[in-house]
Amino acid sequence: MATLEDATKTAVNMDRSVKLRIFDCDVHPVPKQGLSSLEPYLPKAWQERFARKRAMHDGLNVPIRFRHPNGSVVRQDARTPDGGPAASSPEFLVRDLLDTHGIEGALLNCFDAGGLLSAQASTEESIVLASAYNRYFVEEWLSVDRRLKYAPAVPTQDPVSSAAEIRRVGKHPQVAAIFIPLVNVLMGHRYYWPIYEACEELALPVYVHVTGIESIFSGTPTLAMGTADSYIERYAAVPQVGMASVASLILSGTLEKFPKLKFMFAEYGFLWVASLFYRLDRTWRGLRHEVPWVRKPPSEYLHERFLFTTQPCDEPDDPRELETLISMLGHDVLCFSTDYPHWDNDMPAGTLQMLPPAARQAVFYANAARTLRL
Amino acid sequence: MARERQRVAVGSSRDFAAGEMHLIELGGREIGVIRLHSGELRAVMNRCPHKGAPICRGIVGGAWDSSGPGEIVFDNSRDVLVCPWHGFEFDLGTGRETFWKRPASLRMYPVEESEGEVFVTI
Repeated sequence: MATLEDATKTAVNMDRSVKLRIFDCDVHPVPKQGLSSLEPYLPKAWQERFARKRAMHDGLNVPIRFRHPNGSVVRQDARTPDGGPAASSPEFLVRDLLDTHGIEGALLNCFDAGGLLSAQASTEESIVLASAYNRYFVEEWLSVDRRLKYAPAVPTQDPVSSAAEIRRVGKHPQVAAIFIPLVNVLMGHRYYWPIYEACEELALPVYVHVTGIESIFSGTPTLAMGTADSYIERYAAVPQVGMASVASLILSGTLEKFPKLKFMFAEYGFLWVASLFYRLDRTWRGLRHEVPWVRKPPSEYLHERFLFTTQPCDEPDDPRELETLISMLGHDVLCFSTDYPHWDNDMPAGTLQMLPPAARQAVFYANAARTLRL
Repeated sequence: MARERQRVAVGSSRDFAAGEMHLIELGGREIGVIRLHSGELRAVMNRCPHKGAPICRGIVGGAWDSSGPGEIVFDNSRDVLVCPWHGFEFDLGTGRETFWKRPASLRMYPVEESEGEVFVTI
């Protein structure tokens, strides 16, 4: 089995003078045959239930208006050599992503599980499915290569069951974070406290990722001002969820309640973060007494407790403008991600080349390494 | 040449009750004079260092603290001045802004009591 050390030896030298270490904070594996692959990991009665419902589909069913304009969010060129869905084979993923791009480790999180567990399955279904997904990936993926790390998804519709699942799966040495598929409850709300308590207990950061069904199904995070009219419009609006979540986590006092807990926001963008914190800082400075449990300026929590993945990376015409904006935000709050095998993925060689070497090393590796339980 | 400092009587001691802000005009400047809960007096320029607001027209109150989410404690013995524009808070004891990493400071003037009179030096 290949190790992190092996991968480091073959890492691509992106900086020409200093070897750039790379960890990918957002990779989406799928069960090889959709929910059918989970059957061995489901209790018999639940196998029968899902089979009779003909629930063993291959992905998220979303309304026509929000389907990807080219038919799929998944790269067609990333299909496995035997014609299977992209990212359905751990061996091929390691070759196609890690080895090819000099990436020494990757955080796996199952995108389809996020949608199912947060809204598309019932609460009871989500509890058994979460466990089945996590058993499947631990058994069939993590054993293949130690460079593969995993963020198990929890059945967020029931925080107590989520906490139990975290305590069940969270001790695995390749579990590096816990994926919370968000429901329409702000992240600072007490609703999530059982989940946060379990994460903190196991020294695992909270990982949140766009589920792809925000504002589509009841119970998912609602985007502002009604229903979007296109895939693009929804895609552009999803950062609202990250913005509201970060503000909620700080102002609710949840970060004081769980002083060791860290949060990684994947695929919500990051340039909005600077604007949000200028606004939070100034308003807290004047109206702090409304939330006296927030004991320091919000921006101090930002640098201690949050990371934001880089993909999809904004691309001003002049890359120096992006460097300036990132320097306003701080190099310590970003972590590199590809989003492989999705259509809008960013590979290392084409990402944030303009950053100074030390900043690149922080963003591509060090920030993730100090936050995830690697 | 430095302007000569002036010591000016601004009222009788008994007129300054704790927590009440008195606005006076001295040498073309508006100054707020207030007695703290400790009995000491403070004289403050009526101008917020943030955006120039007439800060002495803001709330004079205590301070809020908390031991965790949902828990609030109000300490009325703390003398805090709240700017009426953006709400920035200043500790009247020190003149320094509370709870900020680079605290701003109020412009303070020497103030004293003598034989039942309050004097401000500008």
